[in-house]
Amino acid sequence: MALPTPNPALSQVPAGYKYGWHDSEMKPLHVMKKGLNAEIVEEISRIKGEPQWMTDRRLKAYRHFEERPLPTWGGDLGQIDFQDIYYYVTATDKAVQSWDDVPDYIRRTYDRLGIPEAEKKYLAGVGGQYDSEVVYHNIRADLEKQGVIFLGTDQALVEHEDIVREYFGSVIPANDNKLAALNTAVWSGGSFIYVPPGVHVELPLQAYFRINTENMGQFERTLIIADEGSSIHYVEGCTAPSYSTASLHSAVVEIIVKRGARVRYTTIQNWSHNVFNLVTKRAVAHEDAVMEWVDGNLGSHLTMKYPSIYLVGERAHGEVLSIAFAGSGQHQDAGGKIIHAAPNTTSLITSKSISHGTGRTSYRGLVKVYPGAKRSKSTVRCDALILSDEARSDTYPYMEIDEEEVTIGHEATVSKVGSEQLFYLMSRGLTENEAAAMIVNGFIEPIVKELPMEYAVEMNRLIQLQMEGAVG
Amino acid sequence: MSGAPSAVVVRPDPAAFSTDAAAALAVSRGEPDWLTDARRSRAARYLGTPWPTGSEEEWRRTPLGDLPTAAILDEGVTTEVSGLDPDSAARGVVFANLADAVRTHPDLVRRYLADATAGPATHAAFWELAHAAWTAGTFLYVPAGVRVDLVLRARTVLSRADGAAFPLTMVVAEDGAKVTLLEEFASPDGGAAWFGGMVDIRVGREAKVRYASLQLLGDGAWRVSSQRVVVGADAQVTTLNAEIGSLVTKLGLDLKMAGTGGTSRLLGVLAAGDHQRIDINSLQDLAASHTTSDLLYLSALYERARAAFYGVTRVRPEAKQTSSYQECRNLLLSPNAGAEPIPVLEIETNDILRCAHGATAGAIDPIQLFYAQTRGLSADEAERMIVRGFFERAVADIGSEPIRARVLAALAGRIGQEAA
Repeated sequence: MALPTPNPALSQVPAGYKYGWHDSEMKPLHVMKKGLNAEIVEEISRIKGEPQWMTDRRLKAYRHFEERPLPTWGGDLGQIDFQDIYYYVTATDKAVQSWDDVPDYIRRTYDRLGIPEAEKKYLAGVGGQYDSEVVYHNIRADLEKQGVIFLGTDQALVEHEDIVREYFGSVIPANDNKLAALNTAVWSGGSFIYVPPGVHVELPLQAYFRINTENMGQFERTLIIADEGSSIHYVEGCTAPSYSTASLHSAVVEIIVKRGARVRYTTIQNWSHNVFNLVTKRAVAHEDAVMEWVDGNLGSHLTMKYPSIYLVGERAHGEVLSIAFAGSGQHQDAGGKIIHAAPNTTSLITSKSISHGTGRTSYRGLVKVYPGAKRSKSTVRCDALILSDEARSDTYPYMEIDEEEVTIGHEATVSKVGSEQLFYLMSRGLTENEAAAMIVNGFIEPIVKELPMEYAVEMNRLIQLQMEGAVG
Repeated sequence: MSGAPSAVVVRPDPAAFSTDAAAALAVSRGEPDWLTDARRSRAARYLGTPWPTGSEEEWRRTPLGDLPTAAILDEGVTTEVSGLDPDSAARGVVFANLADAVRTHPDLVRRYLADATAGPATHAAFWELAHAAWTAGTFLYVPAGVRVDLVLRARTVLSRADGAAFPLTMVVAEDGAKVTLLEEFASPDGGAAWFGGMVDIRVGREAKVRYASLQLLGDGAWRVSSQRVVVGADAQVTTLNAEIGSLVTKLGLDLKMAGTGGTSRLLGVLAAGDHQRIDINSLQDLAASHTTSDLLYLSALYERARAAFYGVTRVRPEAKQTSSYQECRNLLLSPNAGAEPIPVLEIETNDILRCAHGATAGAIDPIQLFYAQTRGLSADEAERMIVRGFFERAVADIGSEPIRARVLAALAGRIGQEAA
């Protein structure tokens, strides 16, 4: 039994695409003109009232951006017109502390997402990003008591300039790559978290990001510092309205995990299908630290994202759990990088990818072991599921091993949903779609079970939505 | 045999060769006009084909800036062939060094040389250069239905350590033919040679070919080579590359599963020490349905040796019901050795039976070493035994005892003799 090609309606955003809509009443307050030059970079910094050193960094980063070529590997970036993008938009003048102070039209946006009621009840703190500015922050009182700082990065620059200055760009320098340079030049919003030594943040901290101005780029900048012996779980979820012209999301996330600390960073990305999602995420894990990236990529036109971990202290441990789902017209080029730079460090990369329609998933990863990183161990495991004749799956696992006393392994398999599996499930009364969705849900289960409950539910819903018409 | 170099010099510079130089080589060798013309046109193709820039994924790890400048060896490189039984010869099998075959079977050689344009994409320029500048090589033609049971052997030797040589190996197995060829390549230590040998293997429908290459070049040699294998319907091919010599090896494997039902095994054993660098790129191009292609490359790296392996399995949309596997394992036997195994999959259909890969790098399992020592072996003996066992898997898979024995004997030069 051959699997037929999916419903062509899925090749674009599905008609019932719940998270794709546009609030026509919403009028951004500051909309600068499209395009990018040194004056616009300076203007962004001026509007924000930033200190001179940040203005200088932005300008220097802008020069790097101009000099660096676009990556020629991965996906096709040629369609991005950097001069056809708004680099700074803000919907409210400043972040507010209470949900009641959030303007009505923005609250409506969140209501449509079905999130804020749950947030009010359950979430520890919320930094929602509506356009380029953090508009809402609600830090639970006990977090403040523990000395945890959870702010928009812009506000952190005002209130904690010394910490921001110390760590900003220390993990991902402005000239790391063209898109990190762009982010450094025009960044706006994002989250800043500092967890003092020994403090354990029990509930996940969450932030929602949205894009809501046509052709508007989103360049948030997130910086997380987990001081010695502390722990934190940060969750980032993205949904976006759908527009016909391409949008660019290019974030930078820097994480410092100090001795004995533990950080988990979870992302569920569901950008609308016109977004270029080009994100640089990197963490540094010191002695005995644990860093985990849980990275789910469902939406966007093209995602290029390889969360990386530098294991620089003895016995540091890093994990990347990556899941990618590509439907028609989508390319998910995702993976992870682990750099072993100290002895007795361990790492695990697990990647699960699913492609259907004309979608393409690519796992792209690197395991590098520097000389002296003795007794390092790394395992990379990639599984891909191809659901249609025209779908495509690639695996590009790079390994650079410069130390003898190590154990490094990589395995990958690519398979399709077997007709026997489908037949069996259908004989038990499931429709073909339900059967295929069940197989896919089983396939990604090892990752979904790592998500906070409400995200696991959302993930399963999104997969089901994406799977409609994939088989049948 | 003194082997004076010819007047034609090649440089690590794409523009430093010419159609006239190619023609001069033909004239000095007293070749027929058609071959002079062929060399000229191949030189023109070479000049029109860009060199790798170093930014290509397959060339990132081997910059060509230090490729030696060398005079092309003419009489200084020889190919000797042996093993053809009179019965096979009587049935039309041609097995000769390429220059002899040009004289004895000009039509046959001309046909397959003319057909050998557009070589493996990653080595396209060097493929053309070799076809313009070859001075030695092996020609093997097995007519349809003829089965050669004994192992055929060819040995190509450079008499100088500092020359350039571009031997061509052409293997044509017509439909239903069967043949096994073991080739050896050797040169003296102590100079900077440029070895650019190319191998072109065509396997007809239901034919069966085993090809083994044993590389024992001198310690200053640069090997920039490629092997193209085109596998017809229901044919079976096994290749084995034993890379032992040379300073730098950049070998490209280009396998095309062109006919339905073909089967291929690509085997490799790499043993390197000192400052040796081995960089292999492979393409397993599954372009027909019901094909099977497995690759197994094993390396043992001593001292400051480094091995890179960039292997691509490409399953094309029309290649339904295929099965493929890539396995790359690296034993690191010194703190300064390094490995970069990169097995890539590009799958363009969902109708596959199996497609997977595995790659590992690491030291010998200390428990294995300990166990061997409890049985009375010294640490060195234990290591040698384990490395031999590690290689045995690939070497035995060629399915020919004479080849297995020869390759293991040659490997002993690097990994040491078996414990008494």
